Amino acid sequence: MTTGSSMLVSQLEVRNVSKTFGSVVALRDVSLTAKAGEVHAVIGENGAGKSTLMNIICGNHSVSSGEIRVDGKAVRFGSPMEAQHMGIAIAPQEILLAPALSVAENVMLGRQRATGGVVSWKATRAEAIRHLQALDPDIDPDARAGDVTVAQQQLVQIARATATGARLLIFDEPTAALTLKESARLFDFIKRFRSEGGLILYISHRLGEILELSDRITVLRDGRFVTELDPAKTSKDEMIQAMAGREVADLDLRHQIPAKISDEIVLKVEGLSRRDEFDNISFDLKRGEILAIGGLIGSGRSEMARCLFGDKPRDAGRVEVFGKVENFSAPADAIRAGLVYLPEERKHDGIFPQLSVAENIAMPNLGAFANWTGISWLKVVGAAEEYIRSIPIKVNSPHQLISNLSGGNQQKAILSRWLMSHCRILILDEPTRGIDVNAKREIQKLLRELAQGGLSVVYISSELQEIIDVSDRVVLMHEGKVRGIVPTEGATQESLLAVAMS
Amino acid sequence: MSQSQSNFARLSSMIGRFEAIGIVAALLLLCVFLTLSVDTFATSYNMTVVIRQASFVGIIALGQTLVLLIGGIDLSVGAGAGLSAIFGALLLTSLGVHPYLVIPLTCLFGFALGTINGALVAYARLNPFIVTLASWEIFAGATLVITQGNPIRPLGPVFGWFGKGDIFGVPVPVLIFILLAIVLAFVLNRTRFGRNIYAIGGNRPAAVLVGIPVKRIEMLVFGLSGMLAALAGILYASRLDSGQPSVGEGWLMPAITASIIGGVSLRGGQGTISGTVAGALLMAVLGNGIVLLNISGYWQRVIVGVVVLVAILIDLLRRKR
Repeated sequence: MTTGSSMLVSQLEVRNVSKTFGSVVALRDVSLTAKAGEVHAVIGENGAGKSTLMNIICGNHSVSSGEIRVDGKAVRFGSPMEAQHMGIAIAPQEILLAPALSVAENVMLGRQRATGGVVSWKATRAEAIRHLQALDPDIDPDARAGDVTVAQQQLVQIARATATGARLLIFDEPTAALTLKESARLFDFIKRFRSEGGLILYISHRLGEILELSDRITVLRDGRFVTELDPAKTSKDEMIQAMAGREVADLDLRHQIPAKISDEIVLKVEGLSRRDEFDNISFDLKRGEILAIGGLIGSGRSEMARCLFGDKPRDAGRVEVFGKVENFSAPADAIRAGLVYLPEERKHDGIFPQLSVAENIAMPNLGAFANWTGISWLKVVGAAEEYIRSIPIKVNSPHQLISNLSGGNQQKAILSRWLMSHCRILILDEPTRGIDVNAKREIQKLLRELAQGGLSVVYISSELQEIIDVSDRVVLMHEGKVRGIVPTEGATQESLLAVAMS
Repeated sequence: MSQSQSNFARLSSMIGRFEAIGIVAALLLLCVFLTLSVDTFATSYNMTVVIRQASFVGIIALGQTLVLLIGGIDLSVGAGAGLSAIFGALLLTSLGVHPYLVIPLTCLFGFALGTINGALVAYARLNPFIVTLASWEIFAGATLVITQGNPIRPLGPVFGWFGKGDIFGVPVPVLIFILLAIVLAFVLNRTRFGRNIYAIGGNRPAAVLVGIPVKRIEMLVFGLSGMLAALAGILYASRLDSGQPSVGEGWLMPAITASIIGGVSLRGGQGTISGTVAGALLMAVLGNGIVLLNISGYWQRVIVGVVVLVAILIDLLRRKR
C-alpha cells in the first residue's frame, strides 16, 4: 500500500476523446481539463456520455480515439488497477460489494494489510475504520456489507475508493441513495479532500448540490462537450437548458393541467402498520387526484406501498379499495382490483431485460391476446404500438430488447404496462429517479393528463420540488409515521420539510 | 488488454447473432465429417440408432430446458428416470397393470418426484442445485434399495413396442420426442404459461410484481422436468425389456449440455426448444461418432466434458454481449 505525495495528480486533461461501442457512438471529441484542488462537475441527461467518460478515466474502458493526460503525460490504462497506481479511483453508482464479507473487509478488498502474504486483520480493520470514520462515524465496520442500508453501502464504496490513496476521486451519483445528513457529511469530506489538494470529478442529477459543491461544470449532451459553466454565475435553469439543448417549458404542471378531482374516495387507508417499517398510516385518495407521499429514503414509503399492493403482509390496519374492504394476499389480487404498483428499482424489479419492448408492455395482459391457437403476437405488437405512439416511447421497433432503451423510455414502457391493464389506482415509487430532465417532464405531464381523465395516483418521491410541481396533496412521512397531510397549492420545499420534521 | 477486450466483444456479438445457425452448422459439419470417414455412418440403420439415442436424452433435455429457463437447474433427472423406470417395471410385473396404463402412471410418479423438488425450491426458497443434488442421491439410492441391484424383467412384447416399435419406420420414442418438442415449443412461444416462464427466469422480482404466480409455476416446471425424465426412463426400460437399476445413468450431462449448446442461458430467461433439439442431436451424433471411429469409450466422457466447457464458454460470451 502506497499513499501520499507520490500519487498527487495535479492536472487531468481529456483531449478529443471519442468512444464507440459497436455502431453506437458514446463520446464524440470530448475535452476537459481539471486541476488539483477543484471539484469538477460533469452534468448531462442520461445517455449524454458522463459514465462512459468516467469509465475511461478510471481505466474500465479504453478510448477509441483521443488521449488522457495526467500531469501532462499521455496515459493509457489497461485496467482500473493501472489507473489506481496513478492515483485515480472511482466510487461507482452501482453497488458492487461482497455482501457476505464485513464492511471493513469490503473497504480494503484487494488491499488487505499483509506481511509476507499473510493478512493482518487487525491492521486491515484499523485502516478500514480510518476511511469509514471520515465519511460516517455510525457505520459498523464489523457488520456484513449485505446487512447495512443501501446508503451505507454507497458510503462503503466511497471509502473503498479513498482507501486506494487516490488523489483523483470520481463520484458517480454518490448521493442518489443518501439521506440529507449523510449527504452533508459526504460534502464535508469532499471539501476537506479538495482543500488538501485532491481532485474530484463529480456526476450528479441533483443540480442544487452541484451549485453548492463544484468549482467548474462541464456539460455533455449526446456524447459531445456542450459548454463549461461557472457555478458562481450560472443557475439551475441555465444548466437544464444546456443539458437539454432547448428551452425547458414552464415547470408548473399543476396549473398547466388542472386537476379534476371528484368526491369519490377510491382508496381509504386506516391505521396501516407493519413492524419496524411503518406505523399507523392513514390517508384517503380521491378519484382523479395525484397524492404524493414525501419523505426521506428509509421513511417506510416503499414498504407501505408494497403492502397496499399485496406484496407484503400487514400487521394491522384497514384498507378500502373502491369502497370494498380488501386485504390482498398477492399482487395479482391487487391488479385484478385495479390497483397497481410501479417499483422504485426499475432494473431490479421492473423490466424483463431479455424480452422485447412489446412483450414487456403486454406481460400482465398476455392472456387477453390468446385464443385456442395461442397468443397472437401480431395483436400483442399492435396493442403495444398504440402506447409506443401515444406515450410516446422512443424505440427503433417494438421487437427491440427493452434493455437497449434509455431509463426514461424503459420507465414509460413499464408504465404503459399498467395503462394497458386499465388500472384505476396507480402507485408510483420514485418514478423519475435516474431519468433525464426531458423524459421526467414527459412522464409527469402524462400523469397529470391521466389524472384529469380519472386515474388516481399515489406518487412517492424524495424530491420535494417534484412533489410541488406534480401533485395535488402530499402525505409527509418520516421514520415510518405520517407527519402531516397538506395541499401542495402554495407550499414550498421549506414549508413541507418543516411539516415532515415536526 | 483493450485490444483483446474489443476482440472479445466482437467474438461474443458474432456468437450471439449466429448461435442458432452455429449449432446447426456444427451438427452438419460433424455429419459430413463422419459420412466421409466412416462408411457405416450414413446408413439408415445407423441413423435410426442415432435418433433413437437422441430421443431419450432429448426428452430429458426438454424438461431441463424448462427448468433452466426459470433460472433453475435439475440434477436429479437421470436418477429420477431410473427410479421411475423401476416404478413402472414393478407396476407391470408385480401388480399386473395393463402396459398402456403403465406409461401415464409412471409419468405421474415422475411428476410427483419433480414436484417435491419444485416445492422445496419455490416455497422453501432452497437453492435448486443443492435440492436436486440431494434428490439425485435419494432417487439413485432408492432405486438400489428397491431392486437390490437386480434388473426387473421381462416386461413383455406388448410393452416393448413403446421402446422398440416403429410407425412407418420411425421409432416410437423418436415420434414421442418430436411430438413433445412441438408441444413445448408451442407452449413456450404462444401460451401465457410459457411466456411467464421466460419472465420468471429473466427477472423474478419483476415477475412477482406483475402478478405472475411465480411459485406455482416454478413448482410446476420442476414437476414437468420430473415427468419428462420418468417418460424417458420408462421408454428406455421398454426398449431394454428390463427395469435396469442403471437406467438414466449418464443422462444428466448430455441433457444439460444439449440445452446449453442449444442456446439456453444458465442464468435463465433465454433459450428455445429448437435449439435444445439441435443440441440433443449433436450430442447423439457425437456419441455415435466416437463409437464408429473406434475411439475408446473411456474417451467419450472426456469429450463430453470438453463440449460442456465449450458450451459454458459460449454462454459466457453470450452474456458479455
